[in-house]
Amino acid sequence: MTAPAAAPKAAPVLEVRDLSVRFRPRGGNLVHAVSGLSYTVAAGRTVAIIGESGSGKTASSRAIMGLLPRSAQVSGSVLLSGTELTGLSPRALRRHRGSDVAMIFQDPARSLNPTMKVGPQIAEAIRAHKKVGRAEARERVIELFKLVRLSAPEQRYDEYPHQFSGGMRQRVMIAMALSCSPKLLIADEATTALDVTTQAQIMRLLAELQEQLGMAILMISHDLGLAASYADEVVVMYAGRTVERASVRELFGNVRMPYTSALLGAVPRLDRAAHTPLPVVPGRPPDLSAEAAGCPFAPRCPRAADKCAERRPAFDEHKPGHWYACWYPLPDGPRAVEAGLANTGPSATGGAR
Amino acid sequence: MTVQSTNRTDNLAAAADPEAAVSVPPPGTPQAPPPAGLLRFPLLRSSRFRLAVRRLLTAIPVVWGVTFLGFTVLNLLPGDAAQALLGADATPQEVAKLSHQLHLDQPFFTRYWNWLTSALSGHLGNSLGSGQQVTAILVQRLPVTFELLLYAFIVSLLIAIPVATFAARKPGGIFDSITTFIALVGLSVAPYILALLLILFFAVDLSLFPALGWTPISGGLGSNLRSLTLPALSLGFPIGCFYTRLLRADVLEQLDEDYVVTAHAKGLPGWRVLLRHATPNSMFGLITVVALNAGTFLGGTVIVEQIFGLPGIGEELFQAIQTRDSPVLEGIVVVFAVLVVVIGLLADLLYAALDPRIRYDNPGQ
Amino acid sequence: MTIPVSEAAVAAIPAATASRARGRLRQTLALYVPTGLLAAIIVACFLYPLVGNVPPPVGGSVLDAGLPAGTAGHPFGTDTSGNDIFSRLLYGGRVSLEVGAATQVIGMILGGLIGMIAGYSRGLLAAVLMRVLDTLIAFPALVLALAIAEGLGPGELHVIWALSFFSVPAFARLARAATLRLRDQNFMLAAALSGTPRWRIVAFHLAPNLLPQQLTFALLGAGVAIIQEGALSFLSLGVPPPGASWGNMIASGMQTMSVRPSLVLLPCLALLITVAALNLLGDALRARWSAR
Repeated sequence: MTAPAAAPKAAPVLEVRDLSVRFRPRGGNLVHAVSGLSYTVAAGRTVAIIGESGSGKTASSRAIMGLLPRSAQVSGSVLLSGTELTGLSPRALRRHRGSDVAMIFQDPARSLNPTMKVGPQIAEAIRAHKKVGRAEARERVIELFKLVRLSAPEQRYDEYPHQFSGGMRQRVMIAMALSCSPKLLIADEATTALDVTTQAQIMRLLAELQEQLGMAILMISHDLGLAASYADEVVVMYAGRTVERASVRELFGNVRMPYTSALLGAVPRLDRAAHTPLPVVPGRPPDLSAEAAGCPFAPRCPRAADKCAERRPAFDEHKPGHWYACWYPLPDGPRAVEAGLANTGPSATGGAR
Repeated sequence: MTVQSTNRTDNLAAAADPEAAVSVPPPGTPQAPPPAGLLRFPLLRSSRFRLAVRRLLTAIPVVWGVTFLGFTVLNLLPGDAAQALLGADATPQEVAKLSHQLHLDQPFFTRYWNWLTSALSGHLGNSLGSGQQVTAILVQRLPVTFELLLYAFIVSLLIAIPVATFAARKPGGIFDSITTFIALVGLSVAPYILALLLILFFAVDLSLFPALGWTPISGGLGSNLRSLTLPALSLGFPIGCFYTRLLRADVLEQLDEDYVVTAHAKGLPGWRVLLRHATPNSMFGLITVVALNAGTFLGGTVIVEQIFGLPGIGEELFQAIQTRDSPVLEGIVVVFAVLVVVIGLLADLLYAALDPRIRYDNPGQ
Repeated sequence: MTIPVSEAAVAAIPAATASRARGRLRQTLALYVPTGLLAAIIVACFLYPLVGNVPPPVGGSVLDAGLPAGTAGHPFGTDTSGNDIFSRLLYGGRVSLEVGAATQVIGMILGGLIGMIAGYSRGLLAAVLMRVLDTLIAFPALVLALAIAEGLGPGELHVIWALSFFSVPAFARLARAATLRLRDQNFMLAAALSGTPRWRIVAFHLAPNLLPQQLTFALLGAGVAIIQEGALSFLSLGVPPPGASWGNMIASGMQTMSVRPSLVLLPCLALLITVAALNLLGDALRARWSAR
């Protein structure tokens, strides 16, 4: 999973182009949850979407699955193995959900029907897409349990969700997601609710399954460390827009966007002296109902200048394989992580590239 | 059956090897000694059983309080049974004589104590008016009321469940708006008003159902049900509307839950998500409400039985109040109170039956 | 259900605005229509007889008995005793509305007080009050109301007393539950910590927060009380004839139901409309106040 960034050879499993999602909550203004999101995910690769809460990362993944509330307006293009998903009728969309693209969620405790046995919940997913008998479906479910390394799979079939631990529940969710061999698996904060040890187990399991089955994984998280360990490519979102996108190595090695750098800087590190204050990003994410003129990060950016507040920087491929949207990006080099926070203006570095 | 292990050794072992089941303790961990005494029997260890016992125990003082309150109220009222029985033109001596015969001249607490002690041994006394055994009266009249209540309850569920489920599919849609309005109006209708309107329409104009009287099952199941249909509708429709509104709100709430999103993400069709996932999980609220409303439901039988001339408990109650027949009244009050308690208990058991989280909560297993 | 159809972005925006406006309109209607209806009923029953040409509800002569609807001076005709039906409807309405209002006010004040005390106090007092409340609630309230009405004799005031035995425990239970929920909230703790005496906390901090819920409950409870009054009058335990009450109008009308259904239908409809208006209003208020 941490192979060097290479151009995908086959057609991408998921191609998102200029995706926008807008909501109008009751009695409120139009909220631009996602604006102009574009990325691709190739088979066998993992793309991580990183952002704070409210960055639009979850809304974008729900838009792909068609799981947004009725009042949401979605525009742009989502191509799943060449099939356009936006604009599909609910019935047509349903055929793809669970079979071609599957999703696992953050809280496995609440994501399973508490009054239904676990086995039938998965069998139900299988039988929704394929005409198989009950016995055959049960066999398949037990196979899936073995695949996700759940012990005593035959017994587990007839047990209820509350009888499982958190990690085991998430394995059940993975089994459910894999039941129809999807081409794309979306993991929406799948390990956020788990303790660190279980998190590692689950991520390793996903990595192995990816190698075995060759599926693409879209990983949604706020945890850069997780992305560093398990993703091939990272897309950083802020206020509903992409602000930086690159392969993992390139991003962590040559971070450009001050926001990304700040995120990196906010990760607690073992090599800092004890009691070093954790550098947090001051301020709060912007109100998504107001379409700001300039760069959305400008109010909080230590390197912001007047230009940043007036005109929004374009999200371009400034370097092969490395997209970002910034007027005054950080210079090359690992020092950029610390430098990004120490600098208070564009003059300290060399201005825009 | 798995129990999540809080044993640190277990968790570390699991971390090292994800295939090790957390639920099976590694060999060598000391086992808890087998429970002794009464706790040998698994049933008595079940927390559900203990909960039921606790509920029963707390219900007893309430039932007792109810009987005491009933006795008090009846005796605080002016006039007494003797007077009521003999009528207005009885002489004071006649009234006094009958009073003495019926033990009505004994002090309040003596009479209550006598009643309580004989009630606890199963004798509820005799009617002051007819001399009949109260238990005999109850046995005779209970089945009618029971059948009416059951029929009305089924009617209310037949209304509530389909309507609420269907309305929740498109909240704010046409079906939902219309049925919400009808439900609000429907629950504003008192059973007796609906009874009269139904009689006017069905029995008088259309002559489909009898307006009066009750045919026992011995007279044929068909006519038995026909004689109870209008009463059951009068009782069941308003409360069915009430249940509809509650169930609809519950289903909508369930539809916002995470497992419903999972169900959609699996690619299940909408109707299946609704019927197989959301609706069953919405039943718990309904069960609670049914139990809480048991008293009102029972109370409705009084008037409905009057209007339709059904020989049930409600009609007997009304007569007993008018004739100050305290043994009969006490007997009925006890029956009502016990029924409410039993319904509450049944609700608890139903919870346990439907919610596996409660069912599989056996400590010490 | 939360499954959408993906819509093209810009074209959808006007539609969203339109449906939002429709929702607001529906909310406004839901609030003001029942209010208007209730206001109309109150005005009709209490004010109209003072200004309009309404014959008295009692004391009609038998010579006028059985007049059909539309007769001059008797828009709905007369009953078997010669009393004007329209007039009896209006005066009966007075009884219903008075009973509804009175029972709820008594319930709110007494029941609310008991409930707040039961919820706020701890230890023996709370335990005793809770047991007593549970007993009162378990007791078939209808029996109590019937017995009291029977014992006190007929009459509107007695009906009010009898029905208050219904409303006081109901409000007490509501107040107790709400108090238990609010008791440990920060603002209550802050008041206690600042040395405010308990009665002031209850009166000025607790009670105002209970008020919206109590008011909606009172509206719904008024409907219940009006129905119960009708039931009692129907069973000859309420307002005695020849006095007018919707309940006893129904009772006497029942005898001639097959030949003259309007005698039963009209008071039934009056009851239905009044109670429905109360329920609709209570529901609209509850929706508005909980959405806040």
